[in-house]
Amino acid sequence: MVIKVVLADDHPLTREGFKSYLEGKEDIKLVGEASDGESAWEVIKEQLPDVALIDIRMPGIDGVSLVRRVRQEGLNVACLMLTSYDAQQYVLASLRAGAKGYILKTASPDELLRAIKIVASQGVYLDKEVALAVEEPGFSPEQLSPREREVLLLAGRGESSKEIASKLYISERTVQTHLASIYDKLGARNKTEALLLALKYGVVTLEELLE
Amino acid sequence: MRRHLLLILTLLVLIPSLAILIVTGWGVVEHERAMKKIAESYVLDLAQSVAMRVDRPRFMHRAQMMTPPRVLDSFVLDISLPGWVALVDESGNLLAASSRAQDVLPQIWQGGIPVGRTTLVEGPFGDTYTIAAIPTSQGWYVISAVAWSQLLGPMVRFSHLWPAAVGLLAIAGMCAVWAFWRWLIMPLLSLESEVSTLKWGKDLPKPDDPPAVWELRRLRKVLYQLAQTAREREELRQRYVSDLVRVQEEERTKLAREIHDGPLQDVTALLQRILLLKQEIWNKRAEKYIEIAEESAVAAVRELRVLCDTLSPPWLDLGLVQALTELTDRLARTYGVKIYLEASELPEVSKDIILAFFRIAQEAINNAVKHGCAKNVWVKVSYDGEFIVLQIEDDGSGFEFEGDVEALRVKGHRGIANMVERMRMIKGKIDVQSSSLEKGTTITCKVSFPLISGEETPRDAFNI
Repeated sequence: MVIKVVLADDHPLTREGFKSYLEGKEDIKLVGEASDGESAWEVIKEQLPDVALIDIRMPGIDGVSLVRRVRQEGLNVACLMLTSYDAQQYVLASLRAGAKGYILKTASPDELLRAIKIVASQGVYLDKEVALAVEEPGFSPEQLSPREREVLLLAGRGESSKEIASKLYISERTVQTHLASIYDKLGARNKTEALLLALKYGVVTLEELLE
Repeated sequence: MRRHLLLILTLLVLIPSLAILIVTGWGVVEHERAMKKIAESYVLDLAQSVAMRVDRPRFMHRAQMMTPPRVLDSFVLDISLPGWVALVDESGNLLAASSRAQDVLPQIWQGGIPVGRTTLVEGPFGDTYTIAAIPTSQGWYVISAVAWSQLLGPMVRFSHLWPAAVGLLAIAGMCAVWAFWRWLIMPLLSLESEVSTLKWGKDLPKPDDPPAVWELRRLRKVLYQLAQTAREREELRQRYVSDLVRVQEEERTKLAREIHDGPLQDVTALLQRILLLKQEIWNKRAEKYIEIAEESAVAAVRELRVLCDTLSPPWLDLGLVQALTELTDRLARTYGVKIYLEASELPEVSKDIILAFFRIAQEAINNAVKHGCAKNVWVKVSYDGEFIVLQIEDDGSGFEFEGDVEALRVKGHRGIANMVERMRMIKGKIDVQSSSLEKGTTITCKVSFPLISGEETPRDAFNI
């Protein structure tokens, strides 16, 4: 099966570069490209690719809004953010908008191809550089308790400790204790990192998070 | 001295006035008695001296020859003396009279006169007269009379006016004191209290209040103009500082954008080619060079990205909480300190507020770690439906801050001054609490952000 790909990036030279990454690959076919948000939307709507490589910063509609539109229109297109920004908040914003992956433009051709294949098969791909600036903690997902998983998911959906506490009928203090334990187990320093790590290790899935 | 000026003035006017009033009053009373006495003794003297002269044989001899009434000549009466004299017999027939006495006496003398002493009579024209009757040895009577005004002249006429004049003087004095108080002291005091509480460069005195003498009004006007000039100058200065901050921020944003869209993309494109080339390499030596090139390109991309983020973080677009989260994450990683961010649900706020809060938090955390050697920083941002409040607290060493931002700026500590400036630009308030004794610094920023009721605030496009 050939994966149809659309590439949206406003910089011609980098766009050419990515095209070269994809050239000559039997299982990947570039079906369209765009240099701004509006035309990217048009190309995606027309070509209905399996994967759309989207730059966050583009003239017209920005990448995150484009992803949100793809999801709102119910198009079966896996969006993979291809960007220069290494801010975790962008990763979360993209994932919240419905992106299936986040990869930096400095990634190697092999990493890009791997990411395309993973998101095309409904997986989630996070660039190692943005997902973690921390060392691998030698972690196995079983270590999170079901309650901790629940707390992490709710926190991931943007709920405050207070809201989580009232939803789970536990005290806010207990929520804080759970979060501290989650951070500890995942080796994260904060909620964002914990969430990205949990996604990376498959502790939680993007679908669960977007529920 | 200033406080007692009015009292002194009042006393200075009142005491002499009262003294004069009393002395004059007493003088008037005594004057009346004195005049009465003078008139009495004068009239009695006059009558007795005439009686004496009438008793002389020479007069008697002449009297026998005269047909009454006769004019009393200079023999018995020095005509230059004031008053009138008449000689009557026992049955009241007029024997002789001084000149005009014949006309005057009947007008003022009606009826009997007690013999041997004086009588006070009010004349027909409001004049006061003293009359006396003295018997002679022949059994006649000498009647003498004098008008007070004739005898004592203007003294009589004006003596009653003196107390009134002095009273008027006292009243005028009081009026002067009152006017002095009303138009000079009061406006001066009011001006003084206004000026003493005036924030130079911020406030203006009232242009004309309360009513005052022309000189004071002029002084107030001049002061008003000065204050206005000072305020305009201060406004200009602040606008200049604001412009500096704004232009700096704009330049940084522009520069960051240009680096991102230009060099960063170019180096990325360069890295892509290196990575592509790497796949084609067959030569060991070339592969080594290519790897070095790749490392350099990756390093360049990272450096450019850091440069962009430092100049103007792109994630400011994501919203206040996201921007603060990214900031605290990064600073915690960079410095190896603990930064606790606590954010409640916030409405979508303007870019200006996000930028101001972001820069203040950035500056505050940097200061806390670099200067205060803080190990823990607590950043809290909350919204109560009216105000968005950002609070940055640290456990650093703190510093002595007496509230004078300008003094800090002069000393080269621009951090706090810039925070104040940023809050001023978004019309917010900032409070800095720090002490090197108590340890730690707390910076609280507050900006009004009323929600328009009934209108759902749309969440930020990037809000997560």
